[in-house]
Amino acid sequence: MKTGTLARSVAALALTAGMGQAETVVLSAYSGIFEENYMKAVVEPFMEAHPEIEVEFYGMPNSAQMLGTLRAQKDAPQIDVMIMDVSVAKAATDEGLFAPLDASVTGHIDDLYPQAKVDGVNAVGVTFDNLVLLYNTDKVTDKPASWEALWDPQYKGQVSIPAVPDIQGTTLTILANRLAGGESYLDGMEPGLAKLMELAPNVQTWEPRPDVYQPISSGTAAIGIGWNARAQVYADKSDGKLGVVLPAEGSGFQINVIGLVQDAPAGDAAKTFIDYALSPEVQARFTETMFYAPTNQKAAPLISDAAISRTAAGAMDKMVPINWLEVATIRDGITEQWRRRIIPLSR
Amino acid sequence: MTTAIALTRSRRRFSDHQVAIALLLPIALINVVGFMLPIFNLARFSFNRATTGGGIENVLTLENWTGLLRDPFYLELILNSIWISLGVTLCALVLSYPIALYLHRSSGTWRTFLTVLVISPLLTSAVVRTYGWIAILSDEGPVVGAIKSVGLTPPPLMFNINGVFIGLTEILMPYMILALMAGFGRLDPKVEEAARTLGATPWQCFRRVILPLTAPGIALGCLLCFVLAVSSFITPKLMGGGRVFLLATEIYDQAIVTLNWPLASTLSILVLIIFGAALVAYSAVLKRLD
Repeated sequence: MKTGTLARSVAALALTAGMGQAETVVLSAYSGIFEENYMKAVVEPFMEAHPEIEVEFYGMPNSAQMLGTLRAQKDAPQIDVMIMDVSVAKAATDEGLFAPLDASVTGHIDDLYPQAKVDGVNAVGVTFDNLVLLYNTDKVTDKPASWEALWDPQYKGQVSIPAVPDIQGTTLTILANRLAGGESYLDGMEPGLAKLMELAPNVQTWEPRPDVYQPISSGTAAIGIGWNARAQVYADKSDGKLGVVLPAEGSGFQINVIGLVQDAPAGDAAKTFIDYALSPEVQARFTETMFYAPTNQKAAPLISDAAISRTAAGAMDKMVPINWLEVATIRDGITEQWRRRIIPLSR
Repeated sequence: MTTAIALTRSRRRFSDHQVAIALLLPIALINVVGFMLPIFNLARFSFNRATTGGGIENVLTLENWTGLLRDPFYLELILNSIWISLGVTLCALVLSYPIALYLHRSSGTWRTFLTVLVISPLLTSAVVRTYGWIAILSDEGPVVGAIKSVGLTPPPLMFNINGVFIGLTEILMPYMILALMAGFGRLDPKVEEAARTLGATPWQCFRRVILPLTAPGIALGCLLCFVLAVSSFITPKLMGGGRVFLLATEIYDQAIVTLNWPLASTLSILVLIIFGAALVAYSAVLKRLD
C-alpha cells in the first residue's frame, strides 16, 4: 500500500470511527462514455471534496443488467447507489430493491423539476436526455428542422432507427403519433403507427450497431434518431460529420434516476453522494461535460449558454410529456404492432 | 516385497467402485452447482408471471407456455429459427465437404498449412468477422459494386435474411470442416482405389463408397452447426438489421430490453428442447449408420 493511500485510509478511519460508516461507496451506472464523463465531472470532484469517502464506479452496459445484479445481491447488497432508467427503477422499487428517497437523504428534492419525481419510484431524476434527429453532414446538406426529414423519399434506404422494444423506438412512436394528429398516447397510437408504416420503406436498419451514432458519422446511413447527450459528445469527436438537431416539434425525455440501494452497506456516505450528485453545481458541471439536461431547477442559471443550447434545458416547454410508467403498460402492444405491421414493410 | 504388497492390500479400505464415486464427485458437484441449478432456475422462471415494467411475480402459471403456442408471431419465430439453422447447416455442409475431403487427402506441410488456414478464422471473434461481412456486403461495399458494374441490380445483401445466411454460413464453416475431418477416419484411400479398379465410375465411387464412409462425419458436423446456428445471436443481431427475428435474438430482447425474464426463460428452455431433439435425431442417424 502506498503511503498516501495509507495516510488517507487512516484519516478516513479516524473520521468515521464510531459513526458506523463505511468509507467506500459503490456507484453503479452505465459503462463506456457515460462512465468516462461521470467520473470526470462528478465522481472525482466528489472524492476531492470528501476525502474520507472513496467512490468505486461499477459500470454496466444497460439498466437490465443493473436490475439483474440488484436482484442477485438482494440478500447481501454490494452496490450502494444506482443510476438507471426510470422504468427499470420502478420494477426495482416494486421488488423492494431501493430504499425510500426523501428529504432525509437529500435536501435538493424540492428543487427538482416535477418530471424528475415519479410516483411509486424510490429514486429521483439525475439526468434528462431527449430524442434528437441525427444526420450525416456530407449526405444531408440542408440542416433538417423537423422530424419529417426522416420520411423524405431522398433518404430511402438511408434511415437508421433503433426499433422497439428499445425506448428510442417507443419515443419515436409517441412523437410520430403527435405528428400525425394523435392526441395523448393513452388514447391509442393508431395515427402514429400508420405514420411509421410510411417510414418503414426508408429504413436501412432497425438495429444500428454498435450504436446509432457510429453508422451515421461514417456515412453508412444518412439520417436517424438517437439520444442527445451521447450524440453531442460523438458529434464533437466526429470531425463535423455528425449533425444533431432538436426538431421544431419538440421531443420526449428519457430519465435516468439515482437511487439508494435497500440495505446499502455504505450507509450515510451513500446519502452524501446522492445529495452531491443532485446539487445545482454538480448538475451544471455534468451538463457542461456531457449535455444531459439537469434535473435540478437551480442548475440552469449556472450553465453556459453554449452548453444550454445543446441540451433540452432551454426548451423544457417543447418537451412532450411522457409518463414512462404509463408507457410501460402499453409497451407490449406497441412492440407487437411494430413487429406485425411496421417492420415487415421495410425492404 | 511380498509383505509390502500384502500390507497395502490389507490397508485398502475402499472398493474400486467407491474410489470411482469419490473421483467423480467433484465434477458432479460442479455440474450440479454450475449447470443443473441455473437450468432449474430458468425452468422455474418460465412458470412465473412477468409484471409491467420488468417485475417478476412469483406464482406458478402456464401462461408463458400457452401464450407462446397461441401467438402466431412466436410460432413463426420458432419455425424461422429452425429452418434458417437447417438451411445454414446445409450450405455450410455443401461448401465445407469438398474442402474437408481435400484436406483429408493432402499430406505433409501442405496439409498443415491448409489446416491452419481453415482454423485461422476461429482466432478472430465472430463480432469482428461479422463487421467484416458488413463492410463487404453493405450497399457501398465491393460485392454490390461488382454486381452493379456489370449492369445488374443486386438484391439487398445486408440488414436482412440474406446477410444472416451468408454471415452465419461462413462463421460456422470452420466448425463444419473440423467435424467432418474428425469423422473421416474410416475413409481409407485404398478402398477408393479398389472401387475404381473394380470398374466404378468416379460418381459411383463417391456415392457408394466415399459418402457412406464419411456419413458419421457429416452427421457430427450437421449436429454441431445446427446447434451453433440456433443459439447464434451476434451475427443475426448485427446482420439482420432488426428484420430477422430468431429465438436467440428474441431471448436477448426479452431478457435485456423488455425485461420479461419469464418469457426469456421459456424461450431458453424451448431452445434446450430443440437441442434435445437434434441430439435424438443425431443418435438415430448414428444407429442407422452402424
